Amino acid sequence: MKIHRLVLAACASILAACSNVAVVEHGDALVSDRLSVQIDQPWNRFENSAAGPIPTWTREGFTVDALQFFVAVKDGKPIAPARDKAKPMIFRDGMQAHEIVSLFENFYTQDGSTFRLDRLAPDSFLDGDGFRFEFTRLRKRDDVRLSGVGWAAVSGGELTAIVFTAPRIHFFGAEIGEVERLAGSARLR
Amino acid sequence: MIDRRGLLSFGCAQCAVLAGGKAFAQAAEWLAPPRFQRPPLDTDEGGLWAFMDREEKRLRRSPFRMGDKALRDYLQGIACRLGADHCPDIRVYALRTPWFNASMAPNGMMQVWSGLMLRVDNEAQLASVIGHEIGHYLQRHAVERLRDAHSRSAFGMVLNIALGGVGALAQLALLAGQFGFTRDQEREADRIGVILMSKAGYDPHEAARVWANLRAEAMASGEDPAKRSVLFATHPDSGEREKTLAELASGRTGETGLEAWRTRIDPHLLMLLEDELHRGQFAETLVLLERLIGRDGENGRLLFARGEAYRLRAGEGDVGQAIANLEKAATLADAPAVVHRSLGLALQGEGAGERAVQAYRRYIELSPEGPDVEMIKTYIQGLQRS
Ligand SMILES: [Zn+2]
Repeated sequence: MKIHRLVLAACASILAACSNVAVVEHGDALVSDRLSVQIDQPWNRFENSAAGPIPTWTREGFTVDALQFFVAVKDGKPIAPARDKAKPMIFRDGMQAHEIVSLFENFYTQDGSTFRLDRLAPDSFLDGDGFRFEFTRLRKRDDVRLSGVGWAAVSGGELTAIVFTAPRIHFFGAEIGEVERLAGSARLR
Repeated sequence: MIDRRGLLSFGCAQCAVLAGGKAFAQAAEWLAPPRFQRPPLDTDEGGLWAFMDREEKRLRRSPFRMGDKALRDYLQGIACRLGADHCPDIRVYALRTPWFNASMAPNGMMQVWSGLMLRVDNEAQLASVIGHEIGHYLQRHAVERLRDAHSRSAFGMVLNIALGGVGALAQLALLAGQFGFTRDQEREADRIGVILMSKAGYDPHEAARVWANLRAEAMASGEDPAKRSVLFATHPDSGEREKTLAELASGRTGETGLEAWRTRIDPHLLMLLEDELHRGQFAETLVLLERLIGRDGENGRLLFARGEAYRLRAGEGDVGQAIANLEKAATLADAPAVVHRSLGLALQGEGAGERAVQAYRRYIELSPEGPDVEMIKTYIQGLQRS
């Protein structure tokens, strides 16, 4: 019930996404046909979101908590379409972790929001070498302070990342444990 | 639902481009009206004020508001110098937003965006924009627009959206967009701006230079400026406007306030440059930086930003330029520690492993508590293995 109401709320704000919403229950879920993750509890799942054609999952509505998947981005391709005439956020095989984080930094500041890197360190992801980054984003639209965490790895020349953002107060802390488990279970097919 | 980026561009400085023509070229004398009283709440104007008051309340607490008291007082001081008797009714807010814009609401709330502050060369240029906004305020242009039958229905819609609780900034932008000023209003604001500048002792010739500089940036992106940005798209006569402003200024002189402005903006320069880089419009940024380097000389922050613009653009020949700028910046005292990290990344990308290791080490030395030291150490290990 709760979920349905929330989905409706999200739909009211982003009409275009409505037709694509689905609820992911639990167990094994496949994102963009390539990335499998294990989930403990249901998520509302949007194939497209206000942020662009990026699969986005949420509990409370994706203007609140948003789990975004950037799956198997090939060399020379953008991680997401850039708005207007902004610089395309192109992934290149061979990029250092910092350079990959810069792509996400661009992605999350396109609307005038700020991005501050709080931590960047090696971490295991997709059952191999990757990295974890943490950041704070001040969202321009509503002045909300969001905490963010992301995992990324390059495998077979393709970049895959999962990024979670939520308001620092309450939501982030409430969901981070589950998100960490989910990210830890991610495997590329 | 609301494409905020598009709407944001509809602020006032943008409509200012509309102005032009010869109608006011004679700069006939003009007298400021007496101070305004708060309109009764049950009038359309009162409703507009109340709406803006609510917006202002949010703005006052916004984390995007630039908190530096010296800067606030300084901006307020310019508004007072220009607004004279109206000074107590005008409140200036500096906002951290990397696009060129300023706007003024009928209740006296003025916004000046950081992208504008990064782009003005001196105090007189800033005063020209603030004076233009005060011109709209003194002539009550927003109220005029509100009473325009066509706008009235739009206003109702805006108010409904506002009550529905859409993002507050979007509301404001939407409002600004719906009540975009007319060409004649823009001309009038331009003319008043020049009169106010001149009265306050500023050199009014600086007004035209603001637009010349913006145009140079737009040209740099290699596209027709008329198509390049919203700023120019609907207003083909930006060149004419520049010319008219120059004509209005002719025969008048005053101060530019170069040092006063540099002193005020200097503490914010690095943050503004980093925000500018996030726009990802590197060709424009490089033109801007060239101009700022011309003004301030080669300092560590400007060279760092120029190096970053090249490094992040990563076009042909850019990495070499990035390394040259970052290396030079790294020798200057005011460069941020991250200049060494950027240099390391650029060098590593070029296959200059040994020099990259040196740069990374220097970065760790300077910021041992840096949020990414662990990651940098893995780069060093990787380079030493190979
Ligand atoms: Zn204007």
